[in-house]
Amino acid sequence: MASTLFRTIQIHPFFLYPTALFSRRNGVLYCTMKSSQTQTATQEKQQPPKVKVPQHALKKTVDKITRDYEAIIGIETHVQLSTLTKAFCSCPYNYGSQPNTNICPICMGLPGALPVLNSKVIEFAVKLGLALNCKLSLNSKFDRKQYFYPDLPKGYQISQFDIPIATGGYVDLDLPLEFGGGHRKFGITRVHMEEDAGKLLHSGNGDYSQVDLNRAGVPLLEIVSEPDMRTGIEAAEYAAELQRVVRYLGISNGNMQEGSLRCDVNVSIRPVGQSEFGTKVEIKNLNSFSSINRAIDFEISRQALLHSQGQSDQIVQETRLWEEGAQKTVTMRKKEGLSDYRYFPEPDLPEVILTQEYVDSISNSLPELPEAKRRRYEKMGLSMQDVLFLANDMNVAEYFDETLSSGADIKLAANWIMGDIAAYMKNEKLSINDIKLTPQELAELIASIKSGTISGKIGKEILSELLAKGGTVKGLIEEKDLIQIADPVEIGKMIDKVISENPKQLEQYRSGKTKLQGFFAGQVMKLSKGKANPGLLNKILLEKLNGQS
Amino acid sequence: MGSRALLMLTNFNFKTTVSSFGSASNPFFLIKNNLRTRNFSTKTRSSLQPPDLPGLAETARISLAPNEVEEFAPKIGQVIDWFGQLQAVDLDNVEPAIRADTEGDNLREDAPQTFENKEALIASVPSYEEPYIKVPKVLNKE
Repeated sequence: MASTLFRTIQIHPFFLYPTALFSRRNGVLYCTMKSSQTQTATQEKQQPPKVKVPQHALKKTVDKITRDYEAIIGIETHVQLSTLTKAFCSCPYNYGSQPNTNICPICMGLPGALPVLNSKVIEFAVKLGLALNCKLSLNSKFDRKQYFYPDLPKGYQISQFDIPIATGGYVDLDLPLEFGGGHRKFGITRVHMEEDAGKLLHSGNGDYSQVDLNRAGVPLLEIVSEPDMRTGIEAAEYAAELQRVVRYLGISNGNMQEGSLRCDVNVSIRPVGQSEFGTKVEIKNLNSFSSINRAIDFEISRQALLHSQGQSDQIVQETRLWEEGAQKTVTMRKKEGLSDYRYFPEPDLPEVILTQEYVDSISNSLPELPEAKRRRYEKMGLSMQDVLFLANDMNVAEYFDETLSSGADIKLAANWIMGDIAAYMKNEKLSINDIKLTPQELAELIASIKSGTISGKIGKEILSELLAKGGTVKGLIEEKDLIQIADPVEIGKMIDKVISENPKQLEQYRSGKTKLQGFFAGQVMKLSKGKANPGLLNKILLEKLNGQS
Repeated sequence: MGSRALLMLTNFNFKTTVSSFGSASNPFFLIKNNLRTRNFSTKTRSSLQPPDLPGLAETARISLAPNEVEEFAPKIGQVIDWFGQLQAVDLDNVEPAIRADTEGDNLREDAPQTFENKEALIASVPSYEEPYIKVPKVLNKE
């Protein structure tokens, strides 16, 4: 259900948006979705039917009202780690397994069972902490967070409370250029380790719910941001950057539809110029970057409207759900004071101790992260649009880098990857790792065109063959006899032939219908099977048509 | 460092200084001259007042009859008093410990191992309907 909606939004963002209200931001949304679509291209199967959403009755005046208020947005993100086993037991975890098959006494919370921490969880937490520029706690611990809910078999969640493994970091990102662009730095309050709960399904009829404990005990990292974001697009781009970071690090698949990356957003607004914060509202059920963006912008306008109507007392601290179908947030539960989770140190687990050598070794093994990649590409002279596209997907960036190291021209390589190759991947629903064209051959292709061995047109033809079947540029050129004809004598002969075969057109040309030059050029190109050097062809053709030789 | 703190606790004679614990407003394990400022999890209780027993029972999802509340209240009070005594321990110059036990890491390789006796696990579930565990309908937490 969620994934269906997600796909729908990606494909038809313009239809879903309350257009009267945020016409400027529509484009932003589209761009965000475009980039995430590239990442998830392989998962998309077919286009679902368009979802029709009733137009909001909100007036244009709302846009005006929202200008008088500033929104404060903070995000809590849960990242499910791609470890082979759960956090505290050796149960395997695979998304989509038969319910209640990956369970054991530990993750079921049976009496007497003792947790033992998976070493990968610490490794991944340290990786993320470093990637988010955090200070690491060399000594930290686990705590029990008590609450009663059927998806939590122990009656408590093992989490980290007062001493998280990483604190005080930040993340850098670039907003898409076509919507104002700009660089942003958002603070990271903390990153801590914890376990996931099971899945609870509420049956449509009947007075019971169903529990699947496969996910219970799966390791998560919770990332808490500073309340640094101001708009829906900033929040969506923050989430997109976290997704890039965890994918670059290889610690999570970051897949929002499967719930491997879950964002809960806190939104409050205050009149511009006021220093104290307004009442904050939490929004859940955000399954895509576009829903983060739209839910926040909806919530900002909802709160601003209440403020402007003197009903700010109706903004209460609560959790609201984003309803994708209706494109609005609705009350899920009101918060009556802070819940008492009665945290205390987890007695079944020892202190988590990191040595500086361990941290250093992980630090040295980190890959080049998205921000560093973007800055490097920027320095190469690529436009921000190119930079954002290439650095968005680590595999695309790697492909680009390899093409360059095979000697390809920077801008040309970027153009081929972003143009024909990206289009092919999209059509065939392939990722860059699936295509048969190697970066080395792409570099060869670019060089062959640049040196004039083949024409650009033939280059494109060769490309589609290389993408689908592989092989080498040299092999194809030889096999198909595609080498560009750059011999003026040979081209001249072909031109003579075409001119002599079309005396009527020649006469028309010479009596002033010079547009016919295109006709002659086309005929010559056809005769050469597309191999004639276009520049040379036109030069000689013009001379001959004008009777200079 | 944790074991050092523990050692001090075990050697301590509670009876001698019961009257002198001064900082009742601090949680018992917060150490004066704390070098690092840490926000300990249990700091939420700012004094050692006996808890509201019906409220405590509710958070633990335990039903207590009025006569049971009467019976347990003084017992809980005694436990709280006992914790209060710990505050008298002189912990100046003792580095704060995160955990009492510093045996060190006890970590596991990330190697999957399937639990074999799954039938017994499922059999112990009070209400099971293949393939789900059945529970009373719940829609909201708390």
